Amino acid sequence: MQILKLKGNKAKVISVAIKTLNAGGIIIYPTETCYGLGVDATNQDAVNKLISYKTFRDDKPISVAVTDRKMAEKYVKLNATAKNLYKEYLPGPFTIVSKGKGKVANGVESNTKTLGVRIPKYDFMLELTKVFGKPITATSANVSYKKTPYCVKDILTHTSEKQQALIDLIIDAGKLPKNDPSTVIDTTLDDVNILRQGDIVIRHKHKVITHGEEETRVFGEKLIKNLIEKKLDIPIIIAFQGELGTGKTQMSKGMALALGIKQEITSPTYIISREYKLKKNFVKFVHMDIYKLMEGKEIWDVGLAEMLEEKSLIVIEWAEKVSEIIKDLKGKAFVVWINMYHKSENERIIEYGEFE
Amino acid sequence: MKILAIETSCDDTCAAVLNNDRVLSSVVSTQISFHKKFGGVVPNIAKEKHKEFIDPCVKKALKMAGLTMKDIDVLAVTYGPGLAVALEVGIIKIKELAREYNKPVIAVNHLEGHLLSPFLKNSEGKIYSNIKPKFPFISLIISGGHTELVLVEGIGKYKLIGQTLDDAAGEAFDKVARLLKLGYPGGPLISKVAEKGDREKYDLVRPMIHSKDFNFSFSGLKTACLLSLRKIYASKSAKNDGEMISFSTSSEYFDSKNMFFTKKEISDFAASFEEAVADVLVTKLAKAVAKYKVKHVSIGGGVCANLYIRKRLRKQFEKAGVDVAMPKTRFCTDNAGMIGIVAYHKAKRKEFLKDVMKLDRDPILNFK
Repeated sequence: MQILKLKGNKAKVISVAIKTLNAGGIIIYPTETCYGLGVDATNQDAVNKLISYKTFRDDKPISVAVTDRKMAEKYVKLNATAKNLYKEYLPGPFTIVSKGKGKVANGVESNTKTLGVRIPKYDFMLELTKVFGKPITATSANVSYKKTPYCVKDILTHTSEKQQALIDLIIDAGKLPKNDPSTVIDTTLDDVNILRQGDIVIRHKHKVITHGEEETRVFGEKLIKNLIEKKLDIPIIIAFQGELGTGKTQMSKGMALALGIKQEITSPTYIISREYKLKKNFVKFVHMDIYKLMEGKEIWDVGLAEMLEEKSLIVIEWAEKVSEIIKDLKGKAFVVWINMYHKSENERIIEYGEFE
Repeated sequence: MKILAIETSCDDTCAAVLNNDRVLSSVVSTQISFHKKFGGVVPNIAKEKHKEFIDPCVKKALKMAGLTMKDIDVLAVTYGPGLAVALEVGIIKIKELAREYNKPVIAVNHLEGHLLSPFLKNSEGKIYSNIKPKFPFISLIISGGHTELVLVEGIGKYKLIGQTLDDAAGEAFDKVARLLKLGYPGGPLISKVAEKGDREKYDLVRPMIHSKDFNFSFSGLKTACLLSLRKIYASKSAKNDGEMISFSTSSEYFDSKNMFFTKKEISDFAASFEEAVADVLVTKLAKAVAKYKVKHVSIGGGVCANLYIRKRLRKQFEKAGVDVAMPKTRFCTDNAGMIGIVAYHKAKRKEFLKDVMKLDRDPILNFK
């Protein structure tokens, strides 16, 4: 292991670092947040070495440092949200997660093929990545999850000899200012093109306009009362499409009222699914918001099969994410689609009907 | 009394070991799931994920505490509120451990965990928040899934006096970030960029701030943000002649109309939004303090990791001689340490489960 002081020695440090990276070695380098652990992210042996170093560590997954957006785009697919974040916030203490292009070594992209990218606001690193021409892993050189490394001593006193033997080069920039680790932002949820009109055709479509929350609630209540009168012997799915603030939770409150639920119906967004036991008509009222699911099929992991088995009334917000799954439930569940739009500040357009 | 506590109510798998109310170790799955996924970004809701993480978490918590299962006197587990399939994993694990090692079990309400989290002690017995509970006090629980005001008359004696009628405070942060097209999770980013923003730039209504009850409506605030953002878009884009912008369309749509916000607009909006949240929380809590004449409040839940909200709460109450107990940052978000402290107090009252095998999850559990 070699330790090089950065101050007044930049040219030499860069040349040694490049040599080390090219040879598949591990370097420890300074950034605007803390010391990072770097290897050539496209070199499988080097990444394996990094993983073996980190196995007994408590840490976040591997992201990569690049020099600019152009270089990033060789390795990740940037959507418009990501491009805007790059424009406004990079270089800076942010890790932007996008869909990977499979061009880094195995183990760098996540299981879902996403990759986190950093452009550190730290001149030395911008220069090093530029000269190196490839992404360098940018995982923090944490010695334990309690301690973020701000100086070389932090790292040396908390690593075993075995670990130190794996480090080839430490670039010492002295004590770094105590900034928080980078903030991780996932932009891939924005890839789901939410309203794909035309995919879902509503049969016998009805349209109403409500004026205010109270009317939206009453609409929900009436809708469920009508469905109860049908005395169906299969579960019911209410599939909502509609952006934020159109009153989906308000309508769900009305529905719960029709079912005799006394508890306050609060948003299920955070935990994805909230369920309420019922005494009559249905076994359960399940209120779901599946916005945070990466893929529609994850709805099975949240317990959809069990809900269908138990004759539940299931309300799904952002149902467009599972439209294929819902189509396949034909005959197993009675489905009502509801589209909600803003008309004005208080008015909402509600389109609803059975599913074709 | 050595306690092993497990918490799996949402997307983190957690285990902790306590000696009475002293935390010996507290492990959260995002710390051990190295290179599997981006911690906290892709929601780890799947039952399979909890199953994968629970054994390593328990093992690590015991190891860090320097104990083995033999040393444990009491087992504790969250049984609600939370995601049903996730809660189930923790409950099954605790049943398995109880059977194998023949240990008594305490079932814990996740919300009581947040409520007592400021009173956790370190291994030397020092209370992290430096404040001892003095009854009665008011507890404000602000997390991704809950926003509640609770009157605490004693440990185990709770009365729900107010709650959100729709969205939770933490959720509002994420949803406003969604409106700003900032990616997920937006909460941490909003707090970060708000630091440099102008908190008075955008005038957002504070829903229910003057209502006589102690309830909240963060969905109302979200809608206020939506309307305010529409106005900004309208003034920004000449192309946008009266069209109702749909915020749920893909980000490419926003790109095509060149309607993304600038860094300055984002900072100012985030700061104005954070100010509105802080105003509502501080005002409601102050009203509760006045009505119940308490000299002490406690805060719990992920949102109280927000530095600005912490600052505002301190400023509001400390000058009035009201002690504010807040948990250490790592005990704000979901953790098993807070489940352990509840179990400690319940064990002192001998509230062990009579038949562990009958323990069932309660996804909508709340205080009465």
